[in-house]
Amino acid sequence: MTPPPLLLQATGLIKSYPGVRALKGVSLTLRRGEVLAVIGENGAGKSTLMKILAGVQQPDGGSIAVDGREVRLSSVLDAQALGIALIHQELNLADNLDVAANIFLGRERLKRGLIDTRRHLEDARVHLAAVGLSVDPATSVGTLSLGQQQLVEIAKALSVDARVLIFDEPTSSLSSSEAANLFRVIEELRSRGVGIVYISHRLGEVKALADRVVVLRDGENAGELPKSGIEHNAMVRMMVGRDLSQFYAHEPHPPGPVALEVDGLRTAAHPEHPLSFRVHAGEIVGVAGLVGAGRTEMLEALFGVTPPVAGVVRVAGVEVQPESPRDAIRAGLALVPEDRKRQGVILQMAVRENVSLAALQRDSRHGFLDRVREDGLAAAMIGSLRIKTPSAEQPVQFLSGGNQQKVVLGKWLAMKPKVLLLDEPTRGIDVGAKHEIYRLMEDLAREGVAILFVSSELEEILGLSDRTLVLHEGRITGELSRNALSEEAVLHLATDTEALA
Amino acid sequence: MRKILGISALLFVVCVVTASLSNSFLSAYNLENLIRRTALFGIISIGVAFVIVTGGIDLSVGSVVCLVGCGVPWLLTTHGWSVPAALAAAVVASLGIGLFHGLMITRLRLPPFVVTLCGLLLYRGIARGFTRDQTVGFGSEYKGLRAMATGEIPIPFVSGFSLPAPWIFLLVVAIVAAVFLNRTVFGRHLLALGSNEQAARYSGIKTGRMTVLAYVISSGLAGLGGLLFVLDVNSAQPVDFGNFYELYAIAAAVLGGCSLRGGEGTIVGVIVGAALMQVLRNMITLVTTHNNIEFAIIGAVILAGVTADELVRRMAARKRARQEAAANAA
Amino acid sequence: MNKHSTPVASSRVLSKLQILIVAPWIAGLIAALCVAGCNKSTEGGSGGGGASSGGKKKVAFVSNGVASFWTIAAAGVKAAGEKVGVETETLMPVEGISDQKRIIEDLLTRGIDGIAVSPIDPVNQTELLNRAAKRTPLVTHDSDAPGSDRAVYIGMDNYGAGRLCGDLVREAMPKGGTVMLFIGRLEQDNAKRRRQGVIDAILGRPSNPTNFDPPSGVIEGNGFRILGTLTDQFDRAKGKANAEDALAKYPDLGCMVGLFAYNPPLLLEALAQANKLGQVKVVAFDEDDATLAGIQKGSVHGTVVQNPYMYGYKSVEVLAELAKGNQAVIPASKFIDIPARQIRKAEVDAFWADLKAKTGAK
Repeated sequence: MTPPPLLLQATGLIKSYPGVRALKGVSLTLRRGEVLAVIGENGAGKSTLMKILAGVQQPDGGSIAVDGREVRLSSVLDAQALGIALIHQELNLADNLDVAANIFLGRERLKRGLIDTRRHLEDARVHLAAVGLSVDPATSVGTLSLGQQQLVEIAKALSVDARVLIFDEPTSSLSSSEAANLFRVIEELRSRGVGIVYISHRLGEVKALADRVVVLRDGENAGELPKSGIEHNAMVRMMVGRDLSQFYAHEPHPPGPVALEVDGLRTAAHPEHPLSFRVHAGEIVGVAGLVGAGRTEMLEALFGVTPPVAGVVRVAGVEVQPESPRDAIRAGLALVPEDRKRQGVILQMAVRENVSLAALQRDSRHGFLDRVREDGLAAAMIGSLRIKTPSAEQPVQFLSGGNQQKVVLGKWLAMKPKVLLLDEPTRGIDVGAKHEIYRLMEDLAREGVAILFVSSELEEILGLSDRTLVLHEGRITGELSRNALSEEAVLHLATDTEALA
Repeated sequence: MRKILGISALLFVVCVVTASLSNSFLSAYNLENLIRRTALFGIISIGVAFVIVTGGIDLSVGSVVCLVGCGVPWLLTTHGWSVPAALAAAVVASLGIGLFHGLMITRLRLPPFVVTLCGLLLYRGIARGFTRDQTVGFGSEYKGLRAMATGEIPIPFVSGFSLPAPWIFLLVVAIVAAVFLNRTVFGRHLLALGSNEQAARYSGIKTGRMTVLAYVISSGLAGLGGLLFVLDVNSAQPVDFGNFYELYAIAAAVLGGCSLRGGEGTIVGVIVGAALMQVLRNMITLVTTHNNIEFAIIGAVILAGVTADELVRRMAARKRARQEAAANAA
Repeated sequence: MNKHSTPVASSRVLSKLQILIVAPWIAGLIAALCVAGCNKSTEGGSGGGGASSGGKKKVAFVSNGVASFWTIAAAGVKAAGEKVGVETETLMPVEGISDQKRIIEDLLTRGIDGIAVSPIDPVNQTELLNRAAKRTPLVTHDSDAPGSDRAVYIGMDNYGAGRLCGDLVREAMPKGGTVMLFIGRLEQDNAKRRRQGVIDAILGRPSNPTNFDPPSGVIEGNGFRILGTLTDQFDRAKGKANAEDALAKYPDLGCMVGLFAYNPPLLLEALAQANKLGQVKVVAFDEDDATLAGIQKGSVHGTVVQNPYMYGYKSVEVLAELAKGNQAVIPASKFIDIPARQIRKAEVDAFWADLKAKTGAK
């Protein structure tokens, strides 16, 4: 039996951004009626690859062929004309317009110069039926659930006769039943001969859906698995490039005295659930849970960003009222926030200015800057954290994600914190830098810093933490020691009573 | 520094062009006039620059100029207050207005545009209320006080040219402002807050207090400017005194390299920006016989300056990206 | 910074402190607003009510802006109102033409027995004026709208007054020389005609109010060079800068003519700072205190004064008659002349004393 014809072929794609080489020569092929999963760690180049295939960005090198003919995709419209559509991670719908208007946005059907609303509604019904969405096309998009909105996006893509659909993390904000429905739609599309590129972090989904898996690592093809070879450990090995046991050089730390004691903390987001736990000096405690479980809110309450509504926080035995980050910092807390570019660094400012920001007042002479001390601090942090930068005066926006994260860490290490809070510390940074961040966390724990870190990457939690707290809808549903720690155990607690799919 | 270079070059070009078209441009008398006007507008522009650096905006500057400019002669001549008392009232009023703006913006989280727009209406209205729309002025009195704006300081060994007194005020304000912005913790915090308020707060900076401070500085300098303006002109009509000055001040600050997105700005640049505006207006009177196209020319030059600046910046960014790509490929 | 107090305590104390600082301010602002508000309601004439409430007729006097000139006119309005027994109201638009339109429309809506107005832009306001004239007696003062249905124009002939001013220039500079004109803005009819009168008189042209010389360009003749007309849009700092720039551009400038009331004092300021008082002749318009003081001291050759008191007085008198239905007060020319006068050093003391008496000299 001959394989179905090639729909899409990308060869040797290269793309650089300031400070990062996102793609170093990536190739892939997609056939009719095939679901191709593209996996890889954050920063492996998946998003860049998808943007290039959808015409959002243009490659610096390499070629793309559709139906065997080489093409140039210089805009999203070019890609659409060739039948390629991207379903974004963040949906691109106009909330205030109705479903039909969204589907035909930008190519409205006209009748005597006015929008032909009746025809819109009729045609929209056909496309909605194709994705199994039974809502009135005159409904305003803002009133639909996220899963329904996603189906509207797919219907929109189908309405331009898309033959290649690219999904970027489609299930990241869906409930499990919504996800199950999406999978049914994807199966249906496959049977109609549509080619599907499916990007996901969720290896379980990949295993269930994909006909073939392409693994990216550090902007290169790290390998490919046929349907028969799609298996969890094989995928992880290809993604991280070595066995997990090597990647996370974990050694248990003998815990010291209690550094952080949280008793009955109620956050503004989930005031109904009091949170209580302790972190010892020299201990690394992971916080796991699904998106929306209240993990970030917990760290932000501890750090005074959104002050807690009740509860007691003690740092090294001293009670703290975290009314603002300033109070928390004085008490010896530090937070590496989730949104690095908006909360962690000041992009336009130099490495030096970012590193010294928190320590500025302490190191000043009567309010005047002490440039000697400031330069010294910057040089020390660049050296000890191995921040890759041409100089201390380089604006942080020109550094790679990993180095930006090291700048944030440097800012806090200058304050010699007793407790370090980290929120998704390795999001969006490449594998090498990730490894260095892990090593730094290990080093700090060894020096007696108490570390509490939130991560959505289970491998990270499994590899690093001495102890793991699992949150579900604002509640601590369990605490796992290193011995009891396993992917299944975490997922079970993170989804609480919900059965695993 | 690069941003100042561009605007300074533009100022230089405009000066050279004007000097070549008009013999009077470089006369001592004209230069003295230009320096005095630049000083007056420079002072209020520096104030606005502090607010712009935080990413905010202050539209009330012209009305604060009006309130102080009308209030001081009104207190002195109509109510017979002593000079120190009237000046103290001006200081309290202008600083108080800034504090009021700052607290409305940080505590009630009202947008700066709205708060200061209401200020724009409010303070001029108040000035018109207490003066009952009457023109106020010093007549031939208060020569000593007026010397603050009209006085001239002879330069040793130079005859025929002396420095207008407001220049001294500008110099002091500029030096203090520059030291504050570049050499103190507060200044750094202000810049950090302007670039990225969230990150600044996450770093333990009292962003609210710094924002309030910026508005206090802006109104305070607008008050000083208003005082010097009325001392220079000698009379003020509350309906139009200081009208649109907030826009001149904002334009000067933007010309001088302050990004309206916040986080960027140099004091020298703002002064150069203020000087450019005044030289342009001077040029139009000196070399043409109709001054009704003045605003068109100022608008066009500012637009050209800002456009050129943006293009240069983009070219630099592109060059940088290419270099990095090449370095990475190697 | 309170490094030693506990963080929470310091932030609470601070917020209280800040409230303490702000509270008096807000109170002050509110008080100021109240005072301003009260003033307005008292200025707005005695009591609201519609037209003819309590049997008394009610007429309004609308200026073209805010100036001390109009305060004198308001005194005349008040005096005439008391004498002929009508209620009066003086209204000054602050934001130019749109504000003036709003004021007239509001008056018509409210009901009024007569309006006297100084139109800002007569040609383009004809429609508004005609609409007003249909509903109530309407007269123009200070600046006329000849194309409209107004009953009569009360004021001086600006062209003629300009010529009086031009004659003062020729008097000040018997041998001729260079002249620069300064004015707030040129779009008003009275401003245009006033300026033209000055130019025609200086150049010795026969009287012809329909002449128009464009504001840019040098006009020469009769031994004089009129170098240009500088406008300032009522920005005083700009008005002073215009004077300074003119002095810089023409170091040998012979005469400066300030055509709006606030222009001559600004000319004197600029001359004083340039140490050129007395050296450059100044000819003025209107009766600002600084202008009159300048005439006394000799730094101003003379000024042309209108009679704003009579504008107000006559307007009310005429409107009161019209409201009674007496059309006989309208002359066939539809023009009631309130002539302008030249004030030189000889006349200034008597004039000033009379002016102070009329305005109640605060």
